[in-house]
Amino acid sequence: MLEIDKLSVSYGTVHALQEVDLEIAGEGVLHGVIGPNGAGKSTLLDAVSGRRRPTAGAIRYRGQDITRRSVAWRRRRGMARSFQRTNIFQDLTVREQLSLVAWRLGDDRISDVIEVMDLGDYLEERAGRIAYGVQRRVDVALALIGRPQLLLLDEPGAGLSAEETLRLFQHVRDLVGERRIAAVVVEHDVDAVFACCGVVTVLDLGRHLATGVPAEIRADQRVITAYLGSAA
Amino acid sequence: MNGQAATRVAYRRGAALVPSARGSRRILAGAAALLLFTIGAFAPQYLANDFLLRLADGGLLLGILALSIAFLMSQAGLVSLGAASVYGGVGYLFAIAMSQWYLSPLAAIVASMVVVTVYAAILGALIIRTTPLAFMMLTLAAGEMISHAVLLEGLRDYTSGADGLVVSFGGTLFGLEAGDFANSARFWPIVWTAAWAIGSAVWAVRRSRLGAVLRATRQNEERMRFSGFDTYGPRLAAFVLANVIAGACGLLHVLNSGFVSPESLGLGLSTNALVSALIGGTATSAGPLLGGVIFAFAQDQFGAHGLTQLLTGLAIVVFIVLFPSGVVGAWRDFAQWIWRNRNREAG
Amino acid sequence: MIPLLIANSLALASLLIMMSSGLALIYGLRDVINFGHGALYMLGAYLGYSIAHVAGFWVALVASPILLALVGAALENLVLRPLQRRSHIEVALVTLGLGIILGQVLIFFYGGEARTVDAPLSLAGSVTAFGLTYPIYRLFLIGVGLSSCALLAIWLNFSTSGLHVRAVSQEPSVARMMGIDADRLSLLVTSLSAALAGVAGVLAGPYLSVDPGMDVTMIVSCLIIVVIGGTGSIPGAIVAALLYGFVQVAGSVFLPDLAALAPYALLMAVLLVAPRGIGRGRVLD
Repeated sequence: MLEIDKLSVSYGTVHALQEVDLEIAGEGVLHGVIGPNGAGKSTLLDAVSGRRRPTAGAIRYRGQDITRRSVAWRRRRGMARSFQRTNIFQDLTVREQLSLVAWRLGDDRISDVIEVMDLGDYLEERAGRIAYGVQRRVDVALALIGRPQLLLLDEPGAGLSAEETLRLFQHVRDLVGERRIAAVVVEHDVDAVFACCGVVTVLDLGRHLATGVPAEIRADQRVITAYLGSAA
Repeated sequence: MNGQAATRVAYRRGAALVPSARGSRRILAGAAALLLFTIGAFAPQYLANDFLLRLADGGLLLGILALSIAFLMSQAGLVSLGAASVYGGVGYLFAIAMSQWYLSPLAAIVASMVVVTVYAAILGALIIRTTPLAFMMLTLAAGEMISHAVLLEGLRDYTSGADGLVVSFGGTLFGLEAGDFANSARFWPIVWTAAWAIGSAVWAVRRSRLGAVLRATRQNEERMRFSGFDTYGPRLAAFVLANVIAGACGLLHVLNSGFVSPESLGLGLSTNALVSALIGGTATSAGPLLGGVIFAFAQDQFGAHGLTQLLTGLAIVVFIVLFPSGVVGAWRDFAQWIWRNRNREAG
Repeated sequence: MIPLLIANSLALASLLIMMSSGLALIYGLRDVINFGHGALYMLGAYLGYSIAHVAGFWVALVASPILLALVGAALENLVLRPLQRRSHIEVALVTLGLGIILGQVLIFFYGGEARTVDAPLSLAGSVTAFGLTYPIYRLFLIGVGLSSCALLAIWLNFSTSGLHVRAVSQEPSVARMMGIDADRLSLLVTSLSAALAGVAGVLAGPYLSVDPGMDVTMIVSCLIIVVIGGTGSIPGAIVAALLYGFVQVAGSVFLPDLAALAPYALLMAVLLVAPRGIGRGRVLD
């Protein structure tokens, strides 16, 4: 689905990502990306989704090099993302924004998304007026419209309680499994990632440290030294 | 699954209920608008004197220009300071097309509108990408360049420099002679009809998908791109449309006044139109049109004492701070408040 | 010829630097472009003219900026702070309206004709160096412009309040989390930039003239500079002011017919290459 090849991103003299290789193949599997602050998790997602131009390297999506494609192009071909800082249309109602995006992507079944994200009670509310947790769900819902093939979620749990985060992760895991799509989720909450992700990648200081099933990662000595040890 | 079924039922019930109520209200509103249009088109010629009509003609022209600015402001969040350069520029083009290129009046109109559209498309393509503040400055810059270009020595044969050009045409245009356009009473129905036509067009665009896309882009451009939208094309279309409106308004102006001068290109006029838009409120079609008329009458009242500029400044501050939705918006809020209070008393 | 050109563009740029770095400072803290900045400059110039008449140029150069700082504090407390939740374009338009009002009030008191201010005796006359005879007052102007530039750089880079100003300008949300009081900083910055406008106004008196159109001319120049420099970037504004001064002066020497267009052409040219300006400013939204 997605091949990341020697991807580097620098901001001036700061190297946020250095020659990261990663392959997201598994259909129906949630792929978690974890790592300490400044590891380059969000930068990775920004580069893959087109928000940030890579300094070097290539990104291939369904066999095609998309490194220089526009954000909108990627979205129309099934690559969708959510945002760490809620990035929705504050002055539109939940229904207005979902149906506007659905119109663009030719999706005539937003009721599925509304159900999955449990937004039925908020459809006529202006997004800026609803609770933060619900806004987070609107953010993810916007990414789910149009039946995306590859879902990129940037800290969906940011600002949510551990319990809410876990529930959101379970939702996403089930959805990814049902639709047999690929999903990458960057997250701070390590417990939620280990509980719901089939594959986990660890980044540290802009470099790829390890990728494997949760059990392997938990046991990996390098990961423990660099990240988990300090977290636990 | 239950929740979903319930919401579906709710949609359907809503869908069945709304049209009948809304439909009859729509017919009523349409009839009222038609009545207002007809009365407005003919009554003033019998009720008002020549002086008032001339003022109203000018006010409505200013209102159409204000509508062009307000449309871009409310839909795309972009403030243009160069509306007058198109408004005046089209007058020069019209005059030059007839006197230098020997076109018929109608062909001159078409030619000048084509030039304006192409100009707006090229300028827009270059400046739409920048930040809103830079956009504002770039429209100012483009406008100032046009104003200065008109005064260039090398173009004096075409533009007559600071003296301005007398614009007149022989024969008829849409069955009317030059004198008809210059007559304030006969010009009124023309500008009134144009205001309604342009106002309705803007109203329709606002309610269209393009309007929805523009407003969403204004709120969150990044998320629009991440939702698969091209955010550049729609904004460019809005910019071109705003300029076409300003151009049409400029043509009406030059037909009416028979004269075009550097003043009709200047920043002063753009500011007046912007202020008119703020006075009326940018969110509706009627607001800026009304704002233009209010501005014209206020200018007439206070202009003689040299207070126009002071009042312009005051109007900007007062309307933005106290009545951000303008006269029309404030009126609507007031009507809603009365309505609610009456309902509360009744219930 | 060339040294004269450079000296003249530096003199013009000195005024522009003081004005546009003030604009950039307010923008950094409040996200608002103060369209009334030209009117503040005009107020400074007219106050300077009146004070210089009574007490001499040097008193005016001190008193006028102090009075302007008070006006700046009023602007912050009565306009920018109460309106901080409104859209930035709206607040910018309010400052435009206030600027127009202030300009008209000044014209009401001082009349429509241009006033001239004489340079103080110690700065009158000219010096000859490198085969170039140049008015001392303009050298003084360049000196003040460059030293205010240096003082600003020192303040921003080496003092706590300067550091905080930079922090808020670059990452407002982070700065707020760090407990930086943006309101107090903004008061400081708005007063400071109004005072700078006052200095520029007094200095402009003997160099240009004091006339009713000076506010519009200045604000248009400054806006062009701030946009070229990258909104909110002070180094960008300084470079842009130097560039602008040069283009303006060179334009009036080599292409007098087209000189009025030169700044606009510069703006177009820069923004076509770098849509966000040459400095690293924050994005206006």
